[in-house]
Amino acid sequence: MSEFNNRISAQRDILYVVNSGQWVEELFGLSSGAIERWVGANKLGKSTDLVILINEAAGKLFFLSNKSQEQVTEEYKHLSADVAALTKKISQELECFVRRQNL
Amino acid sequence: MSTHLYAFGSVCRGEIDKSSDIDLLACLSEPNPGIEPCRFSIYSHERIRDLWSEGNPFAWHLHLESKLIYSSDGNDFISNLGQPTIYSKLIDDCEKFRSLFSESLGSLTTTSNSTTFDISCMFLATRNFATCYSLGLGVPIFSRYSPLMLDSQLPISKKEFDIYVRARILSTRGYGDPLSNNDVNSVKKSAYAIVEWMNELADTYLSSELRHE
Repeated sequence: MSEFNNRISAQRDILYVVNSGQWVEELFGLSSGAIERWVGANKLGKSTDLVILINEAAGKLFFLSNKSQEQVTEEYKHLSADVAALTKKISQELECFVRRQNL
Repeated sequence: MSTHLYAFGSVCRGEIDKSSDIDLLACLSEPNPGIEPCRFSIYSHERIRDLWSEGNPFAWHLHLESKLIYSSDGNDFISNLGQPTIYSKLIDDCEKFRSLFSESLGSLTTTSNSTTFDISCMFLATRNFATCYSLGLGVPIFSRYSPLMLDSQLPISKKEFDIYVRARILSTRGYGDPLSNNDVNSVKKSAYAIVEWMNELADTYLSSELRHE
């Protein structure tokens, strides 16, 4: 798969995880505008751990996106691994978030 | 250090509507942390020169549709680069965007969440496919409506295509009305016509290439 399509696939993986939660409105993308809209629609605090992790993942994917024309470098591989690890963290944080909501 | 700032995209074509924003590009001789990456696409001068020599579609886009808005040294960096190398990656790029479309359609039809994102990716694949195709034919169209502007036009209506456009704007800017179930069903119906259209265009191009060899 091309680097371009890999990046979109990584973004989709994060959205699948986030949107598996019960939200008033789902997260439409990892752009700053889409995240801001999702935070507002679901009345989440900007400083909740889940939102911070999503912004962190978006930042890394945004960096990769800005490097879209670059060849695969060690930096790219490292960041891709970071994004995969963040996706896992988001999944764990979402579970904690749901548990807290249900208390 | 020299800095060159450009506007590019829809604003330079005069394609303005409520959902338009202004695409900004910063070309820098060295990193400048003061330039906000959320507002600007940031490229080094060196990388821009590489894109020019690759004949990359983005280089052609900037060559044909960018306007200098600030130069720290009085030069127009992009204009001075002249014309990019002739675009030669049409077959690879078409394959990449066909694959993105299929993956996104697969996701749309097999999962119940992130449908707006999937449709946004289908828009991206379709628009980029059409833009690369037009560039390969020597008549580049960079508009978001490029699939509807080709001679071999996308066989769906503007109204149907606008649902894809809306998904893209929701995904990249968080702006607009959410898609309804009817919208999503309309996309599921029109998507297969897009797959066939992509296949036909790619086959037509390959046949014409073989005739020229």
